[in-house]
Amino acid sequence: MTVPFAAKRLGKELQKISNSLPPGVELVSAENFEEWLLDIKVLDDNPLYQNQTYRLKFRFGPSYPIEPPEVVFVQLPDRPIPMHPHVYSNGIICLDLLGQQGWSPVQNVESVCMSLQSMLTGNSKNERPPGDEDFVRVNRQRPKDIQFYYHDNDV
Amino acid sequence: MAKPTQLKEEGNRRFQAGDYVMAEALYSQALISDPHNPALYTNRAMARLRLSQWDSAVADGAACLALAPDSMKAHYSLSQAHLALRAHDDALRHALRAHALCVASSADHKSLGPITTHVLRCKKERWEELERRRVRERSGLEGEVLGLLEERRGVALREAEAAGLDEGGRREVEEEWREKMEAMRDVFEKARPSAEKRREVPDWAVDDISFCVMVDPVITKTGKSYERASIVEHLRRQPQDPLTREPLYASELRPNLDLKQACDEFLQENGWAADW
Repeated sequence: MTVPFAAKRLGKELQKISNSLPPGVELVSAENFEEWLLDIKVLDDNPLYQNQTYRLKFRFGPSYPIEPPEVVFVQLPDRPIPMHPHVYSNGIICLDLLGQQGWSPVQNVESVCMSLQSMLTGNSKNERPPGDEDFVRVNRQRPKDIQFYYHDNDV
Repeated sequence: MAKPTQLKEEGNRRFQAGDYVMAEALYSQALISDPHNPALYTNRAMARLRLSQWDSAVADGAACLALAPDSMKAHYSLSQAHLALRAHDDALRHALRAHALCVASSADHKSLGPITTHVLRCKKERWEELERRRVRERSGLEGEVLGLLEERRGVALREAEAAGLDEGGRREVEEEWREKMEAMRDVFEKARPSAEKRREVPDWAVDDISFCVMVDPVITKTGKSYERASIVEHLRRQPQDPLTREPLYASELRPNLDLKQACDEFLQENGWAADW
């Protein structure tokens, strides 16, 4: 029987990351090929993210990796939403790499985690995106349907 | 009596609905009055594949090719039927032909993904068949050689007896042959490819989009190769090089023949990698 494109590739990614992941990235659960949870840490001494662990939720559609996965931070008692001018307080991430335009099918779960790590590492602003409160209150869209306005490119 | 086109359309409807028995019968009826219509043969072949009627699917595929030698669907159906019949060489030959026709035609791009997967499957099943044969032959040879040694031992023992050797001498002869047979078994054991041998797929053989071993690698302007089906699918959505994000169109892709040959050779030795 033909296996869906996404499942086949995710099976291989899982095989790979079950054996080894870069420092500061940990696989929490991957029960199916629709939703995976991973934890990331920022490894340098950026005071904004010291001693914190952040939970990421990946959701994959049937045409992954042609289409990007949906990636959000998830809040739990011991897993806060990191403070960053591109991360809304509900966990939605505004990163061109994860958008329809910026995504590339040679990216993978591991590379996305590493990009998010470096996005946090490079940040020094202790703030949310402009309009965070309004956005969080009114947004009912899925992250992939939101037309983000990329405020700046230097963060 | 209904017109062949009506019968065909009704057949297609039944096929869509999963009623392959009825679809097959309707295509057969249409063929009575329109026996030179290649599409009727491929449609009936597809219905017969669903019904596991492999031999008659082969007959339909062949009938279609006689009318339309470059029918991608006919080659594809033939390949599927041959694969089920374990005619692995024929299955692969028709799969590769279907793939080539699919690449050449712009109308069939939707089939490129499934056909690429099917080619890989043909390669894998063909390798498995060869592997089974190799194992059988190896164990056949091992048994034969050990049998010969056993015979020789019997002869040697009888000769020793005839020469009037005592109990100790006979045991010495027996020990000598036992060691020879043990050594022979060792040699075979060493020659056996160990099942635990680490099976690794080299990165150069793997498409960075589907993570499968490549069947038809194509190279971009930047010199990176991908499986044709994967990169074409990506470019349809976004005409950009996946690595550099520079504009890239499917028409700019070129086959990477050396890499294709290397992948073919790798799969011939390592058919298991087809669904790694």
